[in-house]
Amino acid sequence: MVSTSEIFEVLKTIPDPEMPISITDLGLIEEIILDDTNVLIKLLPTFIGCFALPAIANDIKQKVVELQGIDSVEIEFVHDPPWNTDRITDNGRVSLAEHGISVPDGSSPCCNTGTTDTVELTTSAFTCPWCNSTDTTLTSPFGPTRCKSIHFCNACRQPFERMKKV
Amino acid sequence: MTELEKQFQTPMVNLLLSIADDKLFLGHRNSDWTGIAPILEADIAFSSLAQDDIAHASAIYQLIHTLTGEDPDQIAFHRTECAYLCADIVTKSDDFNWASAIARQFYCNTFDFLRLQRLGESSWVPLSSLAKRLCAEQAIHVDHVHSWIDHLGKGNEDSAARIQTALDTFAPYAAMLFEKPEGLDTLHEADVLADHSDFFTAWISSIETTINNAGLALNIQQSNNKGGRNGVHDADFTLSLSELQEVFSTDPLAAW
Repeated sequence: MVSTSEIFEVLKTIPDPEMPISITDLGLIEEIILDDTNVLIKLLPTFIGCFALPAIANDIKQKVVELQGIDSVEIEFVHDPPWNTDRITDNGRVSLAEHGISVPDGSSPCCNTGTTDTVELTTSAFTCPWCNSTDTTLTSPFGPTRCKSIHFCNACRQPFERMKKV
Repeated sequence: MTELEKQFQTPMVNLLLSIADDKLFLGHRNSDWTGIAPILEADIAFSSLAQDDIAHASAIYQLIHTLTGEDPDQIAFHRTECAYLCADIVTKSDDFNWASAIARQFYCNTFDFLRLQRLGESSWVPLSSLAKRLCAEQAIHVDHVHSWIDHLGKGNEDSAARIQTALDTFAPYAAMLFEKPEGLDTLHEADVLADHSDFFTAWISSIETTINNAGLALNIQQSNNKGGRNGVHDADFTLSLSELQEVFSTDPLAAW
């Protein structure tokens, strides 16, 4: 009989298709529900329109169904609780920083306040993950993936990416 | 409340269709700019906005599916014209004029952000939880389009004149965003959704600072006309719908 922690160990080996981080370090796994030989895995999408979601679902199905004692794997994407960057593990943050991706703290309070400057993209100088300078500018609020914006460090003249606050 | 009482289903479906249809068609029109936006960052932005809008629409059609059992793709692509409940501003042609695209985006995004924020307070949990998620993403769109209004207003005389003309041209269509889909009052009366009679004035105050700071003027009047939210559409909508259904109609039962 397989346990949910064995299934989680398998999930740890699955990388995000677009980021240098595993799907578990990214905090996508909300719940693993095991019913005899059938498993339902509930995932939180980072962004609703993320292109990687079908690929992630496929990777999970392929890997988990290989476990002895598992007959079927269902994936469900849920929105409650909403994903935010606080779900990223310390391990994941280290990996992202090594790749020049900075991570905000907390979730966006804009839904409560009704103001949008809380997304901070145009209101804050972010710290450069390469040289720690705060002399940085926003290049584009929309980057290579739905969850990241693009910035430039005026001190070390390097571009960097930042995960968006949602 | 996680189960919606039967008498609220039709008004709720109307409300959800009005939101999802806005997003589906605006996303479709925004995708027109992929490859031809004035600068690379704007090109990536509009493609990303389109991707978000269509994904948001899809999530809402999925929520409708939980109420009616209808296939989300069929809901999105296989209705007759009068069953679509978007406001016609989303399909109003920008004639590939960047100022028009920004004005349309500005009105629609700021409206949608406030709408989602209010839906986030709904007593029907499947709606409020989805709306909160979408609202957080929509805030990024709003932040982005506010900065474009600022760029164009403060750019030079030519850019300021163009964005002012576009804002004025789209204003009567923007007012139609506030038309109520059928049965909305029923949802208010039953406290499924709080009554927001201040919605229009709240929206004005959320956008007029940006407009004024950019040296522009907001010329908009509230409207009581019947239009898109009640299935009455103009020629630009008909054109958009035929484009949208072109591929789907070749084989409506194909798996995508």
